[in-house]
Amino acid sequence: MASPIRILTAVPICDGHDSAINTINLEFIRHGIEVVYLGFHRYAGDIVRAAIQEDVAAIGISSYNGGHVEFFAEVVRQLKRRGASDIAVFGGGGGTITHDDASLMKGKGVDEIFFAGTSLTDMVDYVKKHYGKRRKSRAKLKPDLLLARKLTQLEDAAGKRSPRAKHQTSSIKHRTSKVIGITGPGGAGKTTLIDELVLRFLTQDRHSRIGILSHDPSVIGEGALLGDRATMINSQDDRVFMRSMATRGQAGGLSPATESCLNLLAHSGFDYVIIETVGTGQEALPFRRQLVDQTILVMNPDYGARLQLQKIVMLDVADIVVVNKTDLERAKAALLEIEQRLTQNKRKQQIVATVAKRHRDAGVDELYDLITQDGAGARPPRRERK
Amino acid sequence: MARARGRRAESESESEDTMSKLGQVVEAVEKHGRFVVDQVKRARSDEKFGRELAERWNKIKAETPITRAPTGLPLPRLALPEIDEPGEIARYLFGDGLPGEFPFLNGAYREMYLEPLQNIDQGSHGNKRSTSTNGAKLQKNGARPQEEPTRLFSGLMLAEDTNRRFHFLSAHQRSKRLSTAFDGLTLYGIDSDAEGVFGKIGEGGVAVDTVEDMVRLYDGFDLGSPEFSASMTISGPAPIIMAMYIAAAKRRFGSGIVPKLRGTIQSDIFKEVQAQNETIFPIEASLRFLCDMIEWTAANMPRWYPVSISGYHIGEAGSTPVQQAAYTLSNGFAYVELLAARGIPVDQFGPRLSFFLDCGLDVEYIALARVSRKIWAIGMRDVFSAGPRAQMFKLHTQTSGRSLIAAEFKNNLTRTAAELMLAYMNGTNSCHSNSADEPFTTPSEEWIRLAAHGQAILLEESGIFKHTMNMLSGSPGMKAVERAVEKAILDEFREIESLGGVLAAVENRYQRSQIQSAAHRYEEQIYDGTRPIVGLTRYRNGSDEMPEIELARTPRSKQRLQIERLTKFKKKNADKANRALDNLAQVVDRGENSFPALLEAVEVCSLGQITGRLQEVVGRFRPMV
Repeated sequence: MASPIRILTAVPICDGHDSAINTINLEFIRHGIEVVYLGFHRYAGDIVRAAIQEDVAAIGISSYNGGHVEFFAEVVRQLKRRGASDIAVFGGGGGTITHDDASLMKGKGVDEIFFAGTSLTDMVDYVKKHYGKRRKSRAKLKPDLLLARKLTQLEDAAGKRSPRAKHQTSSIKHRTSKVIGITGPGGAGKTTLIDELVLRFLTQDRHSRIGILSHDPSVIGEGALLGDRATMINSQDDRVFMRSMATRGQAGGLSPATESCLNLLAHSGFDYVIIETVGTGQEALPFRRQLVDQTILVMNPDYGARLQLQKIVMLDVADIVVVNKTDLERAKAALLEIEQRLTQNKRKQQIVATVAKRHRDAGVDELYDLITQDGAGARPPRRERK
Repeated sequence: MARARGRRAESESESEDTMSKLGQVVEAVEKHGRFVVDQVKRARSDEKFGRELAERWNKIKAETPITRAPTGLPLPRLALPEIDEPGEIARYLFGDGLPGEFPFLNGAYREMYLEPLQNIDQGSHGNKRSTSTNGAKLQKNGARPQEEPTRLFSGLMLAEDTNRRFHFLSAHQRSKRLSTAFDGLTLYGIDSDAEGVFGKIGEGGVAVDTVEDMVRLYDGFDLGSPEFSASMTISGPAPIIMAMYIAAAKRRFGSGIVPKLRGTIQSDIFKEVQAQNETIFPIEASLRFLCDMIEWTAANMPRWYPVSISGYHIGEAGSTPVQQAAYTLSNGFAYVELLAARGIPVDQFGPRLSFFLDCGLDVEYIALARVSRKIWAIGMRDVFSAGPRAQMFKLHTQTSGRSLIAAEFKNNLTRTAAELMLAYMNGTNSCHSNSADEPFTTPSEEWIRLAAHGQAILLEESGIFKHTMNMLSGSPGMKAVERAVEKAILDEFREIESLGGVLAAVENRYQRSQIQSAAHRYEEQIYDGTRPIVGLTRYRNGSDEMPEIELARTPRSKQRLQIERLTKFKKKNADKANRALDNLAQVVDRGENSFPALLEAVEVCSLGQITGRLQEVVGRFRPMV
């Protein structure tokens, strides 16, 4: 089966009008398109960087606050400068983009502008018709482009292989990056936590490069809304390479291509590669043996009754358990219950209390130290919690 | 007042400790409903009480002056339902209230849009009292009401361009009520010289980087005059912009001007996070800066409205009318809770809260603002122990921008006219009517004038609103909508309550996802025919041509000029700016009220410099999808 079309959608800088694009995103997804949604108030540079890393076929921009002629042209210009002019640009802005503007924008390299009154179906049809074909390989690829294109090939290949054969590629031994696996139920704050860790990676070591492999579930049919980037404000940086993957029908929190993609990333010169699963259930064990070097389970204090903890199998294998949102009332009890639950395991597991949404949170600092000071295998002694 | 306090004591219950304020509001509204039913029963069973009510009712009617339409037709200045049975009288007086009386269903004030009294025949009832609203003085020869409720919204290009537009628009008005739209950069606290934003300068609103821009923006207007008020539609960086406005006023008129300043700044962080997405600091930090500002303005600027609790953008983002009212009211109660927790007396800040709702064509709008006014009054009185002035839901309405479409756009005049009618039927205190060309651009002068005149035609030309209060209130249909809407709003409150209250629901993106689902359903309904749109899905003439409309675009030369000015400002103040920013950062870090330090900082720092430094201290807003 052919891989789904991947596109990226975003709203320009200083524009918070996301009502139209939210509706359009839903429509694309329903029709089998994978949408990497970058969110609103986004710089042209952030859009282009993300489009290249995600190796999308096209960028859709929804603009309602004016300045669209310059903004769209800037996106096209930067794509060209970064050697990615085969990524198409299309968009719309209700009635704010006139026919004259549209002609001007097309002259500057924009594919298509949808005007007010265009039906959702027409947009979906347009995208399917024009962006559905695999593009030819580019002759000279810059590093990020090359990596992004290889990841796409791995994803395509995984889709074609039979499910049983999916664990063929294995080159775990020669990895050059430390791989951190982050999992936990939906709504626990994994994405925010990762973004806060990235901020610390970027500011505390001026040279480090970070890879992120982020997963979101595929929904009805083949489409998926890959929306983690939209809330990641610190990860929009040239030293961060992020790839959003849809699960494409595989259960368990990862995609059929996760392992091969992860191995490629872990050989690509990053200091750390972070892999985030989709929100998982109690029985989930998403990381196969040795897939990651360090496993972090992120939990929300509101997991229900204490008995529920017995059923969460990740609590047995996680190296670090993060209890996020500890500003919630239930946090104290949760920390105590989880600590008691970990004691049963008789393993060196750490527990960290965080409030990831809080700027400069001491708990996230502690987690950062645990990750960066942990040599492969030799874990530092457990510290006292606050 | 005494009565309010008394009822407060009754409403305290054992459940108060475990329930959030919103849950208590639900209880209070339901309790009020039971109270009304009890009064109805009592009026029917207790003969003395029934007689007293009937006497009061007859007295109200007898004292109502008679007015004459230009045709000579005599009409009462206040219309009341034709009832004489004590139970029904009780239901009306306690459940709806006369205009200007609790629970304010029929209006926050007694006379709203009526012509002043001297024009009318005193009739045979001999009412000698002044019936003017709000203590307004009667003018001997003025045939028109004291102040027109029309508000004119504008903002384009650079400060001097918007200033020119303000002068053009207000030339037609006796009172100068200016409503200011800012460009995207200003709304996000970004300077015009930032990288990658050039095309956005002055687009969709006016570019303001510094206090000097603010001086230019309102040049030639007497900021301290009772006839002048400025409204600023900005929330994310509102405290900084507020400080700039105060600094600009002081530069022009001296520091004595501050207590005289009149106007409104939107500052509504909750609705930004729920719908409009123009937030620049994390929610809690944004709320803190907001409360710092309100604390300062409530003490120093008694005529200023420091927050306009806005459902408009929630409605525009696609919510249902009920969601709009429910989220707006619950946001309002959440602000009250935050401010009260700082120890500010509710009767000090309560009267300085104002509201802003959308008015579209859905049937709920027949009574949405009426019900909102009632719920607010009950909640403020019975849960927050507020006095009468803080119970009043003071409302600005704007007609729905979302209901306007590009196809056959002149139909938008009719849409807006119908919405205006609904807004005034709901007794809005002020109103903005959208221009028919809004789907294309910042409105152009021709269409703005038509939009403003639409209001004058309704209020001044037509006899619908100027002779008689309650002219269109209380029809069986309206009552049916009121009941259904009130119940639905309380259901929404319960849902928010079950999620842990407004802030917790916001952080869990409850309101956002509800609004998004509603928006999606709305779009689907347009295309499946459930929502016919004339000129688009019905009676389309086949031509998709966009009309020739004069676009208000900012020329590059102006955009460059803005950057030059900013560069000069920054160079001139380079040394002082750093000191002011350091001081601001320390004040914020220490947890003190940040507003005085902001007032100092805006003298020498640009908006972007201040935003940038504050973000270093408190972080940036993490967008929600």
